[in-house]
Amino acid sequence: MTVVPALRTVGQMRQGDHLLLGYDTDEERDTVLAAFLLDGLASGQRGLVLPPADIPAGVALSFLEAHGCRVDEEIATGRLCVDPQLAVPEGLWDLDEAIRREARRAVGDGFLGLRVCTEVLRAQAGKGLKTLHDSELLLDPVFASLPVLGICQYDRRVFDEAELVPIAGLHHGRVGADAVWRDELLAITRTFAPPGLALAGEVDESNVTAVARALHTETARARARTAGGAHIRLDLRELHFIDVGALRLLVFTALGLYASGGTLVLTGVAAHVQRVMRVAGWDRVPGLRFEPSGEPP
Amino acid sequence: MTRTGLVHQALRYGSDDEFLAGTAEHARAGLDDGDTVLAVVSAHNISLLAGALGDRSGEVEFVDVRDWYDYPSRTLGRYHAYCDRLGPDRHARVIGEPVWTGRSDFETHEWLRYESLLNVVFAGTGHRILCPYDTRTLPDAVVRGAARTHPELAGESGTLYADPADFCAECDEHRPAALSAGPQDIRFARGRSAAVRRALTAYARGLGLPEQRTHDLVAAVHETVVNSVRHGGGQGVVRLHSDPDYVICEIRDDGSHASAPRPRLPGHLPPRPHAASGHGMWLVRQLSDLVADDLDPAGSVVRLYFRHRHPVSPLREG
Repeated sequence: MTVVPALRTVGQMRQGDHLLLGYDTDEERDTVLAAFLLDGLASGQRGLVLPPADIPAGVALSFLEAHGCRVDEEIATGRLCVDPQLAVPEGLWDLDEAIRREARRAVGDGFLGLRVCTEVLRAQAGKGLKTLHDSELLLDPVFASLPVLGICQYDRRVFDEAELVPIAGLHHGRVGADAVWRDELLAITRTFAPPGLALAGEVDESNVTAVARALHTETARARARTAGGAHIRLDLRELHFIDVGALRLLVFTALGLYASGGTLVLTGVAAHVQRVMRVAGWDRVPGLRFEPSGEPP
Repeated sequence: MTRTGLVHQALRYGSDDEFLAGTAEHARAGLDDGDTVLAVVSAHNISLLAGALGDRSGEVEFVDVRDWYDYPSRTLGRYHAYCDRLGPDRHARVIGEPVWTGRSDFETHEWLRYESLLNVVFAGTGHRILCPYDTRTLPDAVVRGAARTHPELAGESGTLYADPADFCAECDEHRPAALSAGPQDIRFARGRSAAVRRALTAYARGLGLPEQRTHDLVAAVHETVVNSVRHGGGQGVVRLHSDPDYVICEIRDDGSHASAPRPRLPGHLPPRPHAASGHGMWLVRQLSDLVADDLDPAGSVVRLYFRHRHPVSPLREG
């Protein structure tokens, strides 16, 4: 098995992929799974969800409604399915067999393949995660031989990172949400805990509009999340260059948020970027806050 | 009390006594008026002045010239920051003696330009600036220049004061020649500034410029390129040269030939945080050591100079 430790975005997934999603919030999980399942519908593949409890299909898939999916219709036509395999305590034991069977059935029903999402529960993982380990090991040949791709979901509020590292090694890598924007200079991605955006690379006059658009969308999300002032976090740890025009956009965004009781929080700002902000007189703007990088409090 | 005009005087002195006669009086009058008094002079003159002021010397802020007068734009930045901290209701009384020794003809004329620009940049602020010139040691050109860059001469009658626009045009004549085309020239066009930044970073690192100065150089040239793209017709060329003193980056464009008015004092006044423009050129001047700018709708040429080694740390807060 080739281990690719790099993070791939859900939109980059292809047949045969068996990736691990470690998520911090339900919003992060729903964002990734919605993209995964909707991409499948667009590609003529069946979507199969294995929820951790025996709940009606419409309920298990209701999170897709917010993404413009007509869930009842998709269930009625068999394009989306829910299987209670993992709702029973011994569900992990023959997970490989269940997915092999479902992949064949999807092809038999006229689909181009199967996309499967499995929520892994600690209760089923076995002593020292042994059952889980064996189950993930058995899954690999299934993904290698059938037209199927899958995401194993691990709640990071339940599994800690030390536990996830060896499990990730049994996958082809990890998956994360799609980039909000990606060009040859800049990647803008959503962060979920805490919610916000991460900017990696360089921002200049060629892509500042993408940053403006992402900030606008993020502002709407933040306003929907809280009744009071909207607080937006920008993780700038991997931002190596930002020019005056783009910094001005951040300043004006901060002033706009401040006017309605909010803030723009910049984390991990590089020393040379801080210097530019100080020289430009933008180090003490109302509504603009700097926080050191690292885990926020 | 309310003052609105700027007082900018030169004190041409030929002895320690003459220095003290002019400066101690300026400082005492400032303290009596409730002004904040700042003396940026040599170590020798700090001890002279402090001695003459006696008990009152504790009320005066003394700064060594070497920590203040490194490059004209940054010195201007320090004075702006200093006056800004006073707030709108307090005035500054400054004794400022620029460093003239060891300067090239170009550098000397950039400092003369600075003296002339003070009249415009601080016009209407109510601050009082006294600039001592030591006639025993300074070249004649500098001592004569003082009379043309200061509306008043302390203890002397008459003035040869020149309009700053005219005087700056004279200073332009002392700028080094433009760079000639070379194999390292970097063409730029709209939306293609990243390639310029790559080439600049490689060039600066190849010359052994420190990491922070490399960041400064890249940021300053980038903002000039962005200005050229926006106001100068969308494309141009960056030329690079390194001499024993400076790394020189020249940004040229063909001009937009628009009839828009030339900006007044581009980058010499600190922009307000909320302003929609003006931060780029200010940043260019603060991050570069010297700037030779000729902004022209028919084609602009801006040369940025970065000294290879810094005699004092750049951007030290005032």
